[in-house]
Amino acid sequence: MTSFFTRRLVLSLVTAAVAGGLVAAWLLGRVALRPVAMYTGWLLLVLLLGLTFFNARKKLPFIPLFSASTWLQVHIYAGWLACFVFLLHTGGRVPSGAVEIMLAAAFGLVAASGAFGLWLSRWLPPRLTRSGESLVYERIPMLRHRLVTEAEDIVRAAEAETQSTTLGDFHVRVLAGYFAHQPAWLAPLAGGDAEHHRVKLELEALRRFLSVREIQIADQLADLVEAKRNLDHQFAGQRLLKLWLFAHIPLTFALLVFTAAHVWLILQYSHR
Amino acid sequence: MAKSASRPAILPGSSAPFSQATRQAEPERWDTPFSKEMTEADVNLVLAHPLFITTRPERFPPSIPLRGILKNDARIRRFMPGEVIVRRGDYGHSAFVILAGSVRVLVKDPPAEQLGRRQQLRPSVWGSLKRWWQQPRFAEQAKTGGTPPGLRVGEGGEARLFLQDVPGVLDPDRSILLQSGELFGEIAALGRTPRTTTVVAVDEALLLEIRWQGLREIRNYAPEWKKEIDRRYRERSLLRHLAETPLLWNLPEATLQLIADATRFETFGEFDWHSAYHRGHKDDERQRLEQEPVIAREGDYPNGLLLVRSGFARVSSRYNHGERTDSYLGKGQTFGLREIVTGWRAAHVPLRSSLRALGYVDMLFIPTAVLEEHVLPRLSREQIDALRLPPEPAATAALHEPGGDSFLEFIVAQRFINGRATMLIDLDRCTRCDDCVRACAATHDNNPRFIRQGPEASGVMVASACMHCVDPVCMIGCPTGAIYRESADGQVGINPDTCIGCSVCAQSCPYGTIQMVALHDEEGLPIVTEETGAPVRRATKCDLCIDQPGGPACVSACPHDALLRADMRQMDTLTAWLHR
Repeated sequence: MTSFFTRRLVLSLVTAAVAGGLVAAWLLGRVALRPVAMYTGWLLLVLLLGLTFFNARKKLPFIPLFSASTWLQVHIYAGWLACFVFLLHTGGRVPSGAVEIMLAAAFGLVAASGAFGLWLSRWLPPRLTRSGESLVYERIPMLRHRLVTEAEDIVRAAEAETQSTTLGDFHVRVLAGYFAHQPAWLAPLAGGDAEHHRVKLELEALRRFLSVREIQIADQLADLVEAKRNLDHQFAGQRLLKLWLFAHIPLTFALLVFTAAHVWLILQYSHR
Repeated sequence: MAKSASRPAILPGSSAPFSQATRQAEPERWDTPFSKEMTEADVNLVLAHPLFITTRPERFPPSIPLRGILKNDARIRRFMPGEVIVRRGDYGHSAFVILAGSVRVLVKDPPAEQLGRRQQLRPSVWGSLKRWWQQPRFAEQAKTGGTPPGLRVGEGGEARLFLQDVPGVLDPDRSILLQSGELFGEIAALGRTPRTTTVVAVDEALLLEIRWQGLREIRNYAPEWKKEIDRRYRERSLLRHLAETPLLWNLPEATLQLIADATRFETFGEFDWHSAYHRGHKDDERQRLEQEPVIAREGDYPNGLLLVRSGFARVSSRYNHGERTDSYLGKGQTFGLREIVTGWRAAHVPLRSSLRALGYVDMLFIPTAVLEEHVLPRLSREQIDALRLPPEPAATAALHEPGGDSFLEFIVAQRFINGRATMLIDLDRCTRCDDCVRACAATHDNNPRFIRQGPEASGVMVASACMHCVDPVCMIGCPTGAIYRESADGQVGINPDTCIGCSVCAQSCPYGTIQMVALHDEEGLPIVTEETGAPVRRATKCDLCIDQPGGPACVSACPHDALLRADMRQMDTLTAWLHR
């Protein structure tokens, strides 16, 4: 079984070699006064369309068109190559016209969101794994609701049993808000569990006001706080892992529209 | 039959936990007999049969009398001409004694559909495209087609299968006749192996069906039965089994026969281990290990070679105050050979590790003296050197991780070693995108055949997907044989045409990977039975996309190389995947 390192090394070298070959061809073409911008433009279009087909492959899982893993590897390295071809195509020139700016911006955003997604899909999963039990994203709202209800039930029963309001007050002041709270969109990138630690510390500090029985109940609440921490991590992490595609894919379609307009304009006016 | 329960009046103010418990008699072995219709007159009829006349009831202990076994662990079944009694490939849990009439053992099976099976599916691109094109609008939409020819449901809801072309199939040249007094099906019942032949009733036949528990007791307490069953096994299977063992390859037939004569059969653990597995699922690992029957103990003299015939065993060694799992053994693997070889013509070497039954294990025991006399002298010096004890068992060391947490311990404890295609998800690579689930749904009636959730260890999740087990307990007890293996060691599939939705397979599966789903018609409305109005259900599970040319859709749809369908017998592949 090929290791990930070996695969990365081989594919990087192959991509670098192809990029080197393209530079050589581009330089030779320029010396020979060939229309290198047109060649690189067509090459870039082919690469863009090829990259887009990855999404189509995902929609047709029953057709034996290589594995999605192979497609992703091609997508990643062809994506890097497309960035390189884009630089050759523009010749490092800063875009000036309105269409050019929109086209370049769309390309830049698609490339940046792709690179971000690649980094995220390698960086975040190990952190989610270490956070705790893996949860199915669609079930998380139900689990959150269950946690809220369970915490309320525990506190209510504790008040009735111990005739003390310490835990009840704490629930109203801190826990209710904590359990109802949803993590911020970019929380996984910020890292840390500040809110979680604050609640745990406050719960710890509360012990001096609690009876032996209440301490047992506080331990149950601490378990729920821990469960909420993992739930938030899983929810925020999985949400972000899904969300970046909501930027990457629509931007890709925008890029294709701008590209089509660009090609049409070039074909319409370049030979006049 | 379930015992009646009584609930005492709740005592006000009482806080003792057992004071308010529901009380009932302690469950006993024969609370649920094999058949409620077995009467004393039937037992007398069986005891008067020539096969049982020589069986002496006084040899049986008072707690397990012969009459009790026949009354509770056996039933009389009447088969009509052309009716299929057992099918090749099915997993049976009972043996049959012919009381009257005759049956034929088919040397060559008739076509699959005649036996109520569907034709073996072949992957094809056209089939994949057709499936996409004809994708139903609603999940689990029933296909009209009716039950296959030959399948009839009896009065008690029992499915019965009849051959269509009886004279052609029961050709005397292509089948063997068995008559009154003959026993068949005992090897599959006791050895937990698939039936090796198909047996069909020739005329109206009266058969005594004995479930494996009763057969085991009869074998234990009636020496003539033990002798006969062992003789049959020695004759029919043992020599072939021994000849397939690499150590015994190329031995002369006479030597192999000597070894076969000296071989003992030993069984450890519970046959229906899946019930105990459910009970002990949440046990502490140390407790669980202590409950496993010890087959051989570390430090003991290796007085014989143990060869696994079926089931699994855990190889473990002492580690300070605990026991550490070193590896596990499955069918065809041996234990104690290296110690025997290392100690041969030298000082005896004690067993380096212990062997414990994982659930149920059926073993062959070849005494050390026999090996030393007939097998070891025939091996070359290189072979002997290769079989000596290595300094450290390296093959499994890689599965142990620093810190004591071990993937090996996990898969053995949870019995995932049973899997031939266990779905493992590398959680460090998995982005939880659910492309695998969507691909599965797209290829299976809009309803995924697995759940991307399950126990985790060392960053690997064992998802809730059919593992196509080496020991498929789900196949035991299927009344219509709808759940079947594609080949001797192949995928376990469900034939939707013959599944009657009884959920025996779903309840038997220790891993909970078979789901009962309600069927819908073309309008998306639920289909219900005419009699009770209850939803018509069908068992569904992963079929490993047997008709997909690209293999399992879940694997090919994973963009991040996070998913593997692992054959847990191939430790090298598993280790390589874990350490990519």
